[in-house]
Amino acid sequence: MARHSAHTPTSTDTSLTASSASTAREAGGAAISDSTKRINATGTHNSVSHNDDGVVAYAANLSKTYGTKDAVVTALDHVNVEFGRGQMTAIMGPSGSGKSTLMHCMAGLDTPTSGQVFVEGLEVSAMNQRQLTDLRRKEIGFIFQSFNLVPTLTAEENILLPLQISRKPIDRAWFDQIVRVVGLKQRLGHRPSQLSGGQQQRVACARAMMARPSVIFADEPTGNLDSRSSREVLSFLQDSVREYGQSIVMVTHDPRAASYANRVLVLADGQITQDMHEPSYEQILQVFASEGDDEQPTQPTTSTNPSEASL
Amino acid sequence: MIRIGLRDARSHFGRFIMSIIAIALGVAFVVGSFCFREMLNTQVSTMMATNSDHDVYVRGVDKAKDSSAMSMGGGGAGENYNQIDNSLATTIAKVEGVSSASATATITGTVLVDHDGNAVSTMGAPTMAIGMSSSEPWRSAHFTAGSYPKGENEIALHQFAADKAKLKVGDTTTIVYEDGPKKVTVSGIFTTQTSQAGAIIIGVDPSVARHYYAATAPDPNTSALIGVYGNASTPLSNQAQQQLADNINKALPAGSRAHAVTGDEVRKEATKSIQDAMGFIQPLILIFAIIALFVGSFIIANTFAMIVRESMRGYALLRSVGASPRQVFSTVIIQAVILGIVGSGIGTGLGWGIIKLIVVGLAQAGTPLSGQSNPTVSGMAIGMAVGLIVSLLGAAIPARDAALAPPIQAMNETVNPEKSVTLRGIIGAVMCALGLASWAFTQALATAGGNGPTPWKGVNDIATGFPLGFGAALLVIGAIVLGPALVRPAGSALGWLPSHIFRVTGRLATRNLSRSKRRIANTAAALFVGVAIVSCLGVVAASAKASVADIIDTGLKADFAVSSASYGRLPQGAIDAIGKTSGVKSTVTNRMVMGVKYNGKSIDSAITTATPAAMFSEVFAATTTGGSAEQAIAAGKLVVAKNIANDNNWKVGDTITVSATSTVIDEEATKQAQAGYQTQVQAEVQQRMAAGDKAGAQQAMNEAKNVDPATLVKTKSVTKEQPVKVGAIVTNSAYAGGIYMSDTMANDLSDSQMQIARNLFVIAKPGEDLTALHERLLKAVKPYYVVTVMDHDEYKSTTSSMVNQILMILYALLALSIIIAIFGIVNTLALSVSERTREIGLLRAIGTSRGQVRGMLAIEAVIISVFGTLLGLLIGTGAGAMIRSVYKSSGLEKLSIPWSQLVIFLVLAVVVGLIASVSPASRALKKPVLDAVSSE
Repeated sequence: MARHSAHTPTSTDTSLTASSASTAREAGGAAISDSTKRINATGTHNSVSHNDDGVVAYAANLSKTYGTKDAVVTALDHVNVEFGRGQMTAIMGPSGSGKSTLMHCMAGLDTPTSGQVFVEGLEVSAMNQRQLTDLRRKEIGFIFQSFNLVPTLTAEENILLPLQISRKPIDRAWFDQIVRVVGLKQRLGHRPSQLSGGQQQRVACARAMMARPSVIFADEPTGNLDSRSSREVLSFLQDSVREYGQSIVMVTHDPRAASYANRVLVLADGQITQDMHEPSYEQILQVFASEGDDEQPTQPTTSTNPSEASL
Repeated sequence: MIRIGLRDARSHFGRFIMSIIAIALGVAFVVGSFCFREMLNTQVSTMMATNSDHDVYVRGVDKAKDSSAMSMGGGGAGENYNQIDNSLATTIAKVEGVSSASATATITGTVLVDHDGNAVSTMGAPTMAIGMSSSEPWRSAHFTAGSYPKGENEIALHQFAADKAKLKVGDTTTIVYEDGPKKVTVSGIFTTQTSQAGAIIIGVDPSVARHYYAATAPDPNTSALIGVYGNASTPLSNQAQQQLADNINKALPAGSRAHAVTGDEVRKEATKSIQDAMGFIQPLILIFAIIALFVGSFIIANTFAMIVRESMRGYALLRSVGASPRQVFSTVIIQAVILGIVGSGIGTGLGWGIIKLIVVGLAQAGTPLSGQSNPTVSGMAIGMAVGLIVSLLGAAIPARDAALAPPIQAMNETVNPEKSVTLRGIIGAVMCALGLASWAFTQALATAGGNGPTPWKGVNDIATGFPLGFGAALLVIGAIVLGPALVRPAGSALGWLPSHIFRVTGRLATRNLSRSKRRIANTAAALFVGVAIVSCLGVVAASAKASVADIIDTGLKADFAVSSASYGRLPQGAIDAIGKTSGVKSTVTNRMVMGVKYNGKSIDSAITTATPAAMFSEVFAATTTGGSAEQAIAAGKLVVAKNIANDNNWKVGDTITVSATSTVIDEEATKQAQAGYQTQVQAEVQQRMAAGDKAGAQQAMNEAKNVDPATLVKTKSVTKEQPVKVGAIVTNSAYAGGIYMSDTMANDLSDSQMQIARNLFVIAKPGEDLTALHERLLKAVKPYYVVTVMDHDEYKSTTSSMVNQILMILYALLALSIIIAIFGIVNTLALSVSERTREIGLLRAIGTSRGQVRGMLAIEAVIISVFGTLLGLLIGTGAGAMIRSVYKSSGLEKLSIPWSQLVIFLVLAVVVGLIASVSPASRALKKPVLDAVSSE
């Protein structure tokens, strides 16, 4: 996609494997160093990622608990994680593992109990409503499991909505390109109710892409779709990473969906138990199969075990 | 199940507050209107019991056909019977069981001057002088000081009047009768059991009352009623009244055309006729009650829809553990019952309180009412029932939805698409079209001259008011029916501006409106009805003001207009005094001539006026369709207003037989009566002398001396007629409803007593300082107290201030309906927000700021309120213009649309929308984005 290569510095086909691989390695290394001196490391961590520019978002010592006193539920337990630029990272884990909470905290939808969250070097966890709105306009795109579209607006209007809300100029060529890629050229004038679930979700993808956010957070984007529609949506997400260097963080419990990702994180009981790079579908399946056997996460297949696992 | 319902009600109580307020307001209006009617009714009936307290009344037997008969001096009786001879009182007094009998003479239009020398003013209540003496007592009056007035130099005062005038027994003051002021001494002060609703009651000697009554009555020797007491101190029971009435009827001479009826019956009739006349007040209040309850049922429906939607999973759970649909239904409906009871309870108290407040307010303003203002059991029951029914109606559909919840409820965020509004659109449009057609027909009826717009006489004879009202009702209901179909086009039209200013939020808001068109239309309907009523009356009021101003600005050449507050008659002394004031070039006096018939029939809608020719040249320049009004008067012809000419098919040159009946003293009969009486007395004296009863003879002599000679004056009716040509037909609205003749002709036809000087116009000498002249004129009429001299501006403002007062009341009602409408909009938005929780969350997630969400909801609210207001303005203004056009000839010559007022309404609508959107928007924003979008 040479004619659009200009829009992100790292969006080239060649840079993909190399940069993602290195980012992942760094992330793993940083996580290890954090385990020993958690608080102090945060500062170092910050500067490292900034200089590097290979990290689009990261969490430092992120905890989230619900309830009070007797009934405390720990959703996230001192998590340190980085998300690489130009990568699709899948977060997996059983129900209640904290995978959604992690994503919500990363995206500024939820506030951490302690710890920090940064997106593009901006501390999300310390932002007020106005700053959060600003963040969502500039840096973040969302794809939800369902109800992604405003029912009163047509597909085209939905796609352009983020730009119009933030009163940004519309890049028509970019719009046309996205629309072509998601294959919705013929359906732009339709209302969401006139679109199939897969089409709706593709519109949501296009909308998330339209504002060229730093990172797209996708919350079970294929959760409500049949397998064909799921494939279409996931292919599109994968293409957007490959061709435009889009950074995507996706929460899913579907190993098939996770297999489209460059990196797969597995959460259990609020901690990251697995960090896999370019895992195959079988590898992912294996992790969950063994998990089901003995309730103990197996040894990582492609990467070092994150420090939290040993705590 | 009931326990679940009760617990739900408790946990939802906060959300019910708005519904409770709406129900309470509606019920308050209902209960208040019943209280108010009850209060007026008891006030009227107790006043009747006090003021018309005779045990038996003797009145005419035939209902008078001649409705032009002056009822000035007559009591408040609704039906007009033929007049009966005063002399019957003497006959009746001799009937067994009669304590006293007298013709009741009440004179209205008198003015009492207070301690400080100013006329005592009332809040529209009359000042009445009632004849009373020890021999002709007023039983309900109890003297607290002094005694009955004797002769023309004494008066007694009702306690309220005495307080108001700051007078006590022995004080001297002035009372202004029709013929001018008179110095009098206060002989006594009396009280009555009931308050007199602000009326100033003056007791005068019966002979004085009869004298002034006779001056205005068509026949001084007759009365409408003769009041009979059976007992001087205590009222008779109904049976005793009947007995007495029967006795009197037996004694009444044949041919007297009189009949005795019980006091109770007369009071009942009179009370009913007054109550009927006041009857319009309650429906007016009830209209606003209906608006409040309509919105109330609506708010309740919305609230329950929200509650039910949020509790759907709970209901599904109940169903899955075995609850029947009926049981689920009852958990919802029990909440509606509680809400209805609480709301109506508060409303009843509120309505009661409002009436109490009104009573206190009126008493402060000078109209004390002693009527029963507590709500009756039936009033409270009606209020309670209405509140409950409205609550149940509102909750019924949401409750049904709850009951039909499938045991496994898939939470479906996307609301089912609305049923098509096309059918409603068509029905509404047809109704509106019929309404407009009805108005077109009204217009045709009003403007058609002579034969009317259609070939059918029956159709042409329809009163214009009927199709006018019918059309208005059709339009209002049609617009409400049509409403949902109008939401989309109105949303697009009204949303055009906001969508261009606020591209995204404007568009989102506009589209959101079309999602639930019925709900939006119903919300707007509350404002629609209120605004329609007020803008209609606003147009009529503005037109009335403008028409008067226009007449005066363009037509009035005279410098001052003089009229009298005391029932319209200008005292001759005042007329003379004005004429003699220096700087006055000339005066023109208009005299109303009574009892004039044209071609043998009296014309109810016309007032016959005797006026000099100068009226048409120097006071109001006449515009005529034929002939010159000035020349016509000078030539002894009639000048007829266009509407009267049209009604009677008169044309210039037609000859009409004008006749007038005057009552004159029948010298011959009087002489005979006096001679007869003397003979009778002499016979009695001689008889007694013969019987050796010297004292008795002396007594008879003395009695004869004390007899009021007026009772022996016999009168006769004299009818004179002459053929007169119609000389001109005037079209100015200032002359509308009038038939004008020269003073000479009036004097030829009728007695001067039958002519009442109604108004007078003063033309100043050229170059005269008008301000100084005004001062001099005011000084000249000062002794007459009731005569006002108005310059052009004051003349204009006499109508304006009255119109403004009416408008003030209307605006108060509008304010109430606006408050209710705000509730409606708040509620509708709240429901809409709760339905769109996830959508708003999504918008927030993709970067919509809080301000933008607020903006979106504000735009929605403003469009709803502007939509309702515009519709109301449109139909209200249309109705106002129609009324103006139909009643053009009755003083609404000029159409004036109060644009500035209408613009204020629109601005107000925008403000209302903005205010209404605040709380729903806050509620929408309070919800964390996460809650809104998370799918778990």
